[in-house]
Amino acid sequence: METAPAANPQTGEELLVVENVRKYFPITRGIIFQKEIASVKAVDGVSFSVKPGETLGIVGESGCGKSTLARCIMKLLEATDGKITFEGRDITKLSRPAMRPIRREMTMIFQDPYASLNPRKRVGFIIGEPLEVHGLGSSSEIKRRVQELLEVVGLNPEHYNRFPHEFSGGQRQRIGVARALAVNPKLIVCDEPVSALDVSVQAQILNLLKDLQDDFGLTYIFIAHDLNVVRHISDRVMVMYLGKVVEVASRDVLYREPKHPYTGALLSAVPIANPELGRSRQPIVLEGDVPSPVNPPSACNFHPRCPRFVEGHCDVEDPPLYSFGNGHVAACHYPLERWPMNADEIRRAGERTKSEHPEQPLPA
Amino acid sequence: MFRYLVRRTLWAILLFIVITFVTFVIFFVGPNNPARAVCGGEQAKRECLVRATAKLGLDQPMPVQYWKFVKQLVIHQDLGESFATSQSVNQRIKEAAPVTASLVFGGAILWMIIGLTVGIYSALKPRSLTDRFAMIFVLIGVSAHPVWIGLILEYVFGVRLGWTPIANYANFFGAPSDSGQPGGPWQWFYHLILPWCTFALLFAALYVRMIRANVMETLNEDFVRTARAKGAPERQVLVSHVLRNALLPVVTMLGMDIGIGLGGAIFTEYVFQLPGLGQTAIIGINNQDLAIVQGVIVFATVAIIVFNLLVDLLYAWIDPRIRLT
Amino acid sequence: MALLDVKDLSTSFRTEDGIVTAVEGVSFSVEKGQTLGIVGESGSGKSVTCLTIMGLNPKRNTITSGEALWKGDDLLTMKSNDLRQVRGNDISMIFQDPMTSLNPVLTIGRQLTEAVLLHRDVTKKVARARAVELLGAVGIPRAQTRIDDYPHQFSGGMRQRVMIAMALINDPDLLIADEPTTALDVTTQAQILSLMKRLQEDFGSAIIMITHDLGVVAELADDVFVMYAANVVEQATVYDLFSQPQHPYTWGLMGSLPRLDADVERLTQIPGQPPSLLNPPRGCRFHPRCPYVMEVCKTTVPALKPTSRDPNHFEKCHLDEETKEREAAKLLAATMAEAG
Repeated sequence: METAPAANPQTGEELLVVENVRKYFPITRGIIFQKEIASVKAVDGVSFSVKPGETLGIVGESGCGKSTLARCIMKLLEATDGKITFEGRDITKLSRPAMRPIRREMTMIFQDPYASLNPRKRVGFIIGEPLEVHGLGSSSEIKRRVQELLEVVGLNPEHYNRFPHEFSGGQRQRIGVARALAVNPKLIVCDEPVSALDVSVQAQILNLLKDLQDDFGLTYIFIAHDLNVVRHISDRVMVMYLGKVVEVASRDVLYREPKHPYTGALLSAVPIANPELGRSRQPIVLEGDVPSPVNPPSACNFHPRCPRFVEGHCDVEDPPLYSFGNGHVAACHYPLERWPMNADEIRRAGERTKSEHPEQPLPA
Repeated sequence: MFRYLVRRTLWAILLFIVITFVTFVIFFVGPNNPARAVCGGEQAKRECLVRATAKLGLDQPMPVQYWKFVKQLVIHQDLGESFATSQSVNQRIKEAAPVTASLVFGGAILWMIIGLTVGIYSALKPRSLTDRFAMIFVLIGVSAHPVWIGLILEYVFGVRLGWTPIANYANFFGAPSDSGQPGGPWQWFYHLILPWCTFALLFAALYVRMIRANVMETLNEDFVRTARAKGAPERQVLVSHVLRNALLPVVTMLGMDIGIGLGGAIFTEYVFQLPGLGQTAIIGINNQDLAIVQGVIVFATVAIIVFNLLVDLLYAWIDPRIRLT
Repeated sequence: MALLDVKDLSTSFRTEDGIVTAVEGVSFSVEKGQTLGIVGESGSGKSVTCLTIMGLNPKRNTITSGEALWKGDDLLTMKSNDLRQVRGNDISMIFQDPMTSLNPVLTIGRQLTEAVLLHRDVTKKVARARAVELLGAVGIPRAQTRIDDYPHQFSGGMRQRVMIAMALINDPDLLIADEPTTALDVTTQAQILSLMKRLQEDFGSAIIMITHDLGVVAELADDVFVMYAANVVEQATVYDLFSQPQHPYTWGLMGSLPRLDADVERLTQIPGQPPSLLNPPRGCRFHPRCPYVMEVCKTTVPALKPTSRDPNHFEKCHLDEETKEREAAKLLAATMAEAG
């Protein structure tokens, strides 16, 4: 039922291609022998690709699978199904030793600056360890490189021998960035790198990441739940819901003309720091909670909460990623006709389009 | 819940088999020959050895002996006969168990009283004088050996001050009038005071420390702040919110410790000459009396397993997070 | 008369390293039915201010001074019993993390009825009925059955609703919400904020909303004050604050926000990090990070004074008015390019 990843035709120049990746966590039961009775479908058929030098933002709320997806890409978790291609090479089933050299090309920055640094190791060691592991230089060369990196991320190279607890949250996150940069990777996966930071410090890290991308030609996959942050740093954005991709578009297009009702609801939910605008609008407020990934709803997994739900269609036929041109895809049978819409408008439009054939281009 | 119960029981059976088997093996790998012990050690005469070996079944291969033992236990619930005295092991255990039980349960009540009062008070007033004394008490309790403590208490209170009996056990239900032994409930209690203190000391120390830590940690939880924000008086906050959460893990520990204690509070029984399971086991070992030792081990193992199981079930019951998943 | 009138509130904590002044000289008032927003980052003192008013700081090692007049009575010097009558009854508070703010071993019904029974002389049945009523009001489906469930059987958003129900169950005149949506997803946040707005209309309570999110403040608050390093640095109505911000820290905060409604190439970053409250900088506490710092800033603490244009707009900065107007305009031009 899934159409091919129409939005990301492989032209051969993609840095990373993810095809139909699934990650299911089994739930077992049994007295002596554990039998799988159900599974948590954390990632349920995700496909996308990333070109060198671009930033792909992945946005979604808790339980949508974005962090699990990141770990699957990084091979920190084994995908249950699907294919991951990095620089043209299939890395899905690579053994640990075979993955080693690839880990020099793709690194990760984590969310919690307090938990992702070993508190018993000095900062110099933390940043230099990847270099040591890959055998990239003698100890004096590594030390020099580490000090260089400290400067690049805006820290004092003389703090080489300090411990993580001597730094603030923002500084620790800089250390995390330096560590990810140490091996000169091509791709950096950033898993909510600024969520745990204060707003003023957040800005510092975002600016730093942008600068580094320009200076070193990096490619980012930037995962976040904060739409403002994602907008600021991404070239293209992918929206996930309950393990599936619901929409992908270039940054401006997604924020100006979202097609999927969930994207609309997300955009609508973000409070605007402008009292005149903020108070006069009617945000689209979704009903209920996110359903459990153990038992996702049938067909379109957003249908129980969707203001445009059309019974008999949305709960029966799983929407493929319909294409809207220029790489903009959305998995919805009744995509939004325009934007902005408020709570009433979004519902009314759904009733109207039910009677006529929905105006959407055929899957490419 | 049911599945959990079944799985735990199966594990328990497996555990039981392993423990009894290992005990058997130890006896057989050991250098001493029980038949020799029965016949008087070094001076054992040859005919005696031959007869003892045959009677005790020692001439048969080990697996056969083990199988005989298991069959006898499971089908007849009979632990056999003592190698040394030919007395029924079941009988011996029946006599010794109540002694140990009195010691352990009484001790448990004592250590819980101390643990709760001192632990909670120290947690509510950290770094106060009481708290500091409590921590010193903990240190002593954890470091001091029960034999040492027991002897000191015996000497001070029994010998010097004469406030308590020095040793011995009094049957709760009264001793036979011609045995010259003390009997009856008061004597029972009176004879157990020092043993209780000795036995409970170590556990009291551990529990004071644990309860103090749990309560202190719970006092900082968000839901305690919520309770105060609702306007609840401090006492209600303490009972309904803090203790209810802080003491949950204590239930598990209590069950486990009682189970272990029932296996034989060896040191305390030794010092105070209480004829409980611990004493019995020691005598058995000295006589190389496999039957007795095996009997005590079987009883202790069953007691520990049963108690652990009960405690896990109880915990699963009182913690709604576990009960309702 | 204002519902709550706070004058010169200061709170310090005695720690092993010395005395930490978490709140210094804060004054504000809240009127009936009004929403006051307190904005600041971590360590600014915004939470401690409200915890002090409620008397929820640890008793030992806390030094408080100033006044917090609730309908004329000073909460800071009230007897414990009297203060307890106010807490959960006239003034309620909800906290940030709904996952840990409820007692895990008691049903939510029990916790809700506890809130009622503490302040009302009614039977358990009546209290329970009231609890069901409130659960329905905050949008918990099948309240009659769910009232006997335990907290772990609810999601984060639902638990926060339960917290709100518990806070409003005695019809308080003031609800203090300490970052109530920070730990929630954005769509859940939208639900909770919309719920709070509606409940405010139904119950008529005043709200103090503590947050670091300027967007939340813009949409909910009538008046706002911004805190930095234990001080109030700016205070105004919400429209004034966003159209005429007058303090460099406020400019920094607004400029550092990535926006949905505007295109910003490079975010304004405030260099450095918030100061230690053990040894705060001399003079203006913001001066080490301020791009407009002058000599006077390093030695003299600026007074919190009203601007000449609007007597209800206060700010705490040595810069002259002209510079402030200019910089504020620059900021707004950059960030509100596509507004309207």
